[in-house]
Amino acid sequence: MFIVGSSGAGKSTLNRLLIREELPSSGRIVIDGQDLVRMKRSQVPFLRRKVGVVFQDFKLLPNKTVAENVAFALIVTDHQPRAIREETERTLALVNLTHRRSHFPRELSGGEQQRTAIARALVNRPRILIADEPTGNLDPVTTWEIIKLLIRVQELGTTLLVSTHNAEIVNALRQRVLHLDHGAIVRDEREGLYAA
Amino acid sequence: MRRAGYIVSAAWQGFWRNPVMSVASTLTVAVMLLLFAVFVMTDRGLQAAVGILESKVEVVLYLDDTAKPSDVLELRRRIENDPAVESVVYVSKDEALDRLKEIARRRPELALEDVSTNPLPNSLEVKLGNAQETRRVSGMLREEIGKGVVYDLVDNPTVVDKLLTITRVLSVGGIAVLGMMLFVTLFVIINTIRIAVHARRDEIEIKKLVGATDWFVRWPFIVEGMMVGALGAVVALGAIAAVAGPVSNALIGFLDILPVSLGANFMVQLAAGVLGFALLVGGGGATLSVRTHLAR
Repeated sequence: MFIVGSSGAGKSTLNRLLIREELPSSGRIVIDGQDLVRMKRSQVPFLRRKVGVVFQDFKLLPNKTVAENVAFALIVTDHQPRAIREETERTLALVNLTHRRSHFPRELSGGEQQRTAIARALVNRPRILIADEPTGNLDPVTTWEIIKLLIRVQELGTTLLVSTHNAEIVNALRQRVLHLDHGAIVRDEREGLYAA
Repeated sequence: MRRAGYIVSAAWQGFWRNPVMSVASTLTVAVMLLLFAVFVMTDRGLQAAVGILESKVEVVLYLDDTAKPSDVLELRRRIENDPAVESVVYVSKDEALDRLKEIARRRPELALEDVSTNPLPNSLEVKLGNAQETRRVSGMLREEIGKGVVYDLVDNPTVVDKLLTITRVLSVGGIAVLGMMLFVTLFVIINTIRIAVHARRDEIEIKKLVGATDWFVRWPFIVEGMMVGALGAVVALGAIAAVAGPVSNALIGFLDILPVSLGANFMVQLAAGVLGFALLVGGGGATLSVRTHLAR
């Protein structure tokens, strides 16, 4: 699903609400049967393992390699060393970065960096993947490469929420489109276009 | 185990990420702990010195040669009834002379020439159980002078008084100084950890995003604070161990009459106390720092 709307319409706020970085001033947010507003603070980490996030600026750790950046998400969520190795390799293969596993982020292209970030978001096998302007920093060719990868992720069963300003992508893919304006949903179409 | 391993290694990496800062705060903590330990040892030593001096506190009454034995016995009984008095010993002229001869024999610079007559008086040596009572008891006994039994009195309350004053000032002042030092140490740790948190804010953000629990976000910093404290304690205790022998020898040589030894048992307790204090302040300071900078 695509989330569209002008700057300041509330796309990023929606994303932050979904990972409980922010709490709504009113209303309810339910993910996988859990009410995020009533959720205890100690439960938040476990919610975030179900909701992966990818950003425009990648947010990779510069002093860690591709494989280490991906494995990091498993290490700090207390996985067994063997599971860390296996899941990291599986996810690197999924994003087609196995051959770049020992490189540092500064040695990668923008597309490769974003694929690393996607791998890190997916390695915990989340139910939902949120991508906030995932192609904002990328050239058109690389943008398509990333979008194709995201579609593959969706086909493998992960719910995908992509916030974007890229009309070309939205119009080409004809997915569900949610249009936000001043914090409210003004349009929700099953096979929508960027503009009504 | 795996989790603890990760936390310790992350803390260790954090410690060396900014080595100048870490070493500087470790040394600051070490100096604070060193002052703390020296203070505790000095206090303990002075207390021991007071104890030794207290056991030596005496008031000596010189008796008139013409005093009647019954009056002397009566006075002795009255003194013995005072609760502050531990014992009263009668020393006759002859015993006094024997003592003087004995002293003269050991110290050749004192030559006794004419010992045919004995100029020394009979005396009562009053031993006190509690040094703080010296002033009162000697005041009371001073009133006996001139009543036909006692003609003079010798006491040494000023030394004890001064020593008691020193220990009291040291205890009160020491607690104040210790309090300030605790704050300084705490702030050094808080600042160190704050900088460590700042240096790793990207890592912290990512940890939170991928669903790390508080354990994984906070504990490396708390352990890093404890590391700073513990390393500071090791440096401080190492410094004490290195200089303790020579310094205490010098002190014993200097003070001569005060064979003050702190004992191995006390030193073990001191080391444990310093280390425990360091871990507590290190962990506590880091917790405070993490609490204010990793809120949410």
